[in-house]
Amino acid sequence: MEPAERTAKSLAPKPLRTKPRRARSGRPRRFDWIIEHLLAEGLIAGAILGWWLLSLGLPDYVMPGPLTVAEALVQLFIDAEFLRHTISSTVRVVTSVIVSVVLGWALAQLPLRYPIAQVIVHDRIKPFLNSFPSVGWAILAVIWFGTSDTSIVFVEVAILTPFCLVNISEGLRELDRDLVEMGRSFTRKRLRTFFKITVPLLMPYVMAAVRIAYGVGWKIALVAELFGAETGLGFLMQRAQTLADAATVFATCFAIVLIFFLGEKLVIDPLARRFQHR
Amino acid sequence: MPGPAAVAVRLTEFFADIHLVKHVFYTIGHILAAVVISFLIGSACAFLPFYYPPARLMIHGRLSPFLNSFSGIGWTLLAIVWFGINDITVVFAISAVLVPFAIINMREGLDALDEDLFEMGESFTRRRFRRFVLIVIPSLYPFIFATLRISFGVAWKVALTAELLGGNTGLGYLLNLARQDFDMPLLLAVIIIIIAFVYSTDRFVFVPIQARLARHHGTG
Repeated sequence: MEPAERTAKSLAPKPLRTKPRRARSGRPRRFDWIIEHLLAEGLIAGAILGWWLLSLGLPDYVMPGPLTVAEALVQLFIDAEFLRHTISSTVRVVTSVIVSVVLGWALAQLPLRYPIAQVIVHDRIKPFLNSFPSVGWAILAVIWFGTSDTSIVFVEVAILTPFCLVNISEGLRELDRDLVEMGRSFTRKRLRTFFKITVPLLMPYVMAAVRIAYGVGWKIALVAELFGAETGLGFLMQRAQTLADAATVFATCFAIVLIFFLGEKLVIDPLARRFQHR
Repeated sequence: MPGPAAVAVRLTEFFADIHLVKHVFYTIGHILAAVVISFLIGSACAFLPFYYPPARLMIHGRLSPFLNSFSGIGWTLLAIVWFGINDITVVFAISAVLVPFAIINMREGLDALDEDLFEMGESFTRRRFRRFVLIVIPSLYPFIFATLRISFGVAWKVALTAELLGGNTGLGYLLNLARQDFDMPLLLAVIIIIIAFVYSTDRFVFVPIQARLARHHGTG
């Protein structure tokens, strides 16, 4: 299996198993629940406490305290100047997710229509895109397109497309051949069978692709914006780093974690539930 | 945009220059160190809830999603502030990115563990260590390899960024130099070396090993 494929699969969040592996006898379930949460929230509280203690002895530019970072984080969502950066990053990530899903889908469909393209897509294009370093794309894009939105979206699309391609071609492979055949016996219009049968069957895989692309997209957004941007969180982070403003570096990281979780919980999860096979 | 010929020439020059080839080995060293460190930490985090189930939510519900969504660049920039521009920064940044991958994959392996086999082991010996070495570890071989393989693939991508920003050795550093000098042939030559290396290690090292494991364990 390709590495991205395994990564992709492992990245897809699965519901936590609520039942412990080996049921413990003679202990009420409720007690387990309390201990679980005590440990989990304890980790967070402990981490913040440790961070605070650590920050006491160190100057702000090395290790800012939790409060300083929280302040900077709030700034990112309130201050108009910072909000502009946050929004432009988000818009770019969303755009490139959409573009790369469409592109990956098209590439995945190609061998189905023209079997001769199988080797080209899966043995040449896919490994090439998969092993092309993302920094390489970022540098090349700046040289080719200058510092613009185009160059950032290009970098993100170039990195995300193989992930989408892998997932959607997996879906196409699992497609129920009998159903497709049945569709063909009803109509000869390819477009009609495509929209009535292929698309609904493929939707769960497309959603998985969207989910992975979204997750990876946020991670590489910073790489892309580091070189070729005058707006965006990556630019902000880079600037903060040169100004030795560790609080903003921290805050940007947390802002990304926050936006990522919001997007996943509020947009991707409901969509995925909607398109699930019943 | 230089032609293929110019890049090819630069590529041969590259391998003739020991000062440039040195960087390839630095990068490999960074990656190997980070893969080993993150594998150890990640496995430890995955084994904790396995032997102590109440820790499940702590590791899989809090720690690994957090690490998973914290960006690699963030780690790199913070590491630069903490450790300065050197090899430690690079290895730290790569390891921090790899740990969640290791946790997720090892967890999958532990979840897929054969309960019956485990029970059988319990009926043979009461020594946990013996069961661990003779049953748990061998059942995990395919997942250990999958973890290492994924870590290796991801490490390559992160390593370049980390070296570019926070290193003074390695291929990423070289990319940065080429970028600053607008030395496009060198830039493309480095990218080609990276692609060739990533692809061939996967193809000629990991795929055969995994195929062998698959034959032994009946899984992929």
